[in-house]
Amino acid sequence: MFKYLNHLVISKFVMAATGAFIVLFITGHAIGNLQIFLGKDALNTYAAFLQSLGEILWAERIVLGLAFVLHIITSIYLKLYNNKVRPTKYAVTKYIKARFSSRTMIWTGIMIGSFLVFHILHFTSRDIDPKYKEMHEVYQDEHASYFGFDETVMQATNANDFGIGMHPIIKQRHDTYAMVVDGFQNIWISLFYILAVILLGFHLSHAIQSMFQTLGINGPRFTPLMIKISNAYGIFIALAFAIVPLSVLLGFIGRGL
Amino acid sequence: MRINLHVWRQPNTEAKGHIQLYTLDDVSPDMSFLEMLDVLNEQLIQKGDDPVAFESDCREGICGTCGMVIDGIPHGKQSGATVCQLHMRKFKDGDDIYVEPYRHTVFPVIKDLFVDRSAYDRIIQAGGYVSANVGSAPDANANPIPKGIADLAMDAAQCIGCGACAAACPNGSAMLFVAAKVSHFNLLPQGQPEKATRARAMVKRMEDEGFGGCSNYYECEAACPKNISVRFIAKLNRDYLYAAFKEGV
Repeated sequence: MFKYLNHLVISKFVMAATGAFIVLFITGHAIGNLQIFLGKDALNTYAAFLQSLGEILWAERIVLGLAFVLHIITSIYLKLYNNKVRPTKYAVTKYIKARFSSRTMIWTGIMIGSFLVFHILHFTSRDIDPKYKEMHEVYQDEHASYFGFDETVMQATNANDFGIGMHPIIKQRHDTYAMVVDGFQNIWISLFYILAVILLGFHLSHAIQSMFQTLGINGPRFTPLMIKISNAYGIFIALAFAIVPLSVLLGFIGRGL
Repeated sequence: MRINLHVWRQPNTEAKGHIQLYTLDDVSPDMSFLEMLDVLNEQLIQKGDDPVAFESDCREGICGTCGMVIDGIPHGKQSGATVCQLHMRKFKDGDDIYVEPYRHTVFPVIKDLFVDRSAYDRIIQAGGYVSANVGSAPDANANPIPKGIADLAMDAAQCIGCGACAAACPNGSAMLFVAAKVSHFNLLPQGQPEKATRARAMVKRMEDEGFGGCSNYYECEAACPKNISVRFIAKLNRDYLYAAFKEGV
């Protein structure tokens, strides 16, 4: 399976293709997160919707996981291979065009990878703070029909007060909103997240235009524009992710929760 | 002008080299960098020392033989020019200048600033030609080629194979060289029949020689004395992908 590593250009394609998939995911994730500003109900509905996807969610996780594994293995292999090419360094090193973001891809990548492990244990599997597993919200599903009840919840609430024939469905779901607010109220965790997404934005500012170059899309008008888009995209992603912990820290979100 | 020259001295491939300081007084700003080295060598010979070995041929900026690294940049700080076209007026009186050979496992130092660049010749041998016998020159309009394509092929054909791209690349990749050589054939009708084979064979030879992979730093483009654009690397990537599907890798 890893025979492709012997071919430098194929390895580049693997980096670009897996990167493209990760970029699509990151874009969706960043925009999805912003629903926290629409309030508790919007975020928890979105989270419950994602969870309800079931097999589709797992298929997406497997493909994404594979993309990450290939992206990481290929980059580390290439870096070690490329490092062997110049054992004697230049006495004077100067860069004219190689940007700092391009020369630090492997390091920002490794740091983002380590953050990702923490992030998954923190908010996805919720093993870092197991109390997040038990955070539930009882809500009434206004979009559902008037038929059917969740008996366990019914008994725990005064749902009978709604009157016969007018029963909205009372359900229970994970309280993602409370989990996010609780997580980001810890200043160190918030700062760690903000730092990580800044690195991610930095990584992406080189990655997007590099991906097009690798896939063979380059032109005298397209490439300068794509370099600008790439930079703007990196800044957008960093801001879109960082604004959530920042808002919690500053008290715009989750006050009095 | 007075120049403090820090030159890499290495008697042969196996020996361990070191940086040696030479101070040159009375350097004329009108000298080319190579003429300045000639003056240094005359002084060294008069003193009975070993002159600094470096390569040069045309001394008019078209052959690329004089490739060396000056202050960390192959061919020095003048953009789009070889060392012989870099003049001392680009430096200031009292400047410290570091002169090193290309540092690359594929370009072993033969002596001082003189490296073995025959790996590039072997890449050309792998596919940098058209193998059909085309006979004598046809009429100019017998084989119509759009002006844009002809210009682009000419831009690629400007590559003089000096090795600066691989020397400048943080990964030691020769992709810009291979891309230029593949593109100038693959853009033109005469190169079409062997398009896939050429891209595959020349990339394979580049890998076998031990050059690194491209990470899109674009340092090669900045160092290239002929201003070859990295858009040719994108074209090589396309041609290679086409070849990989057509013929495998």
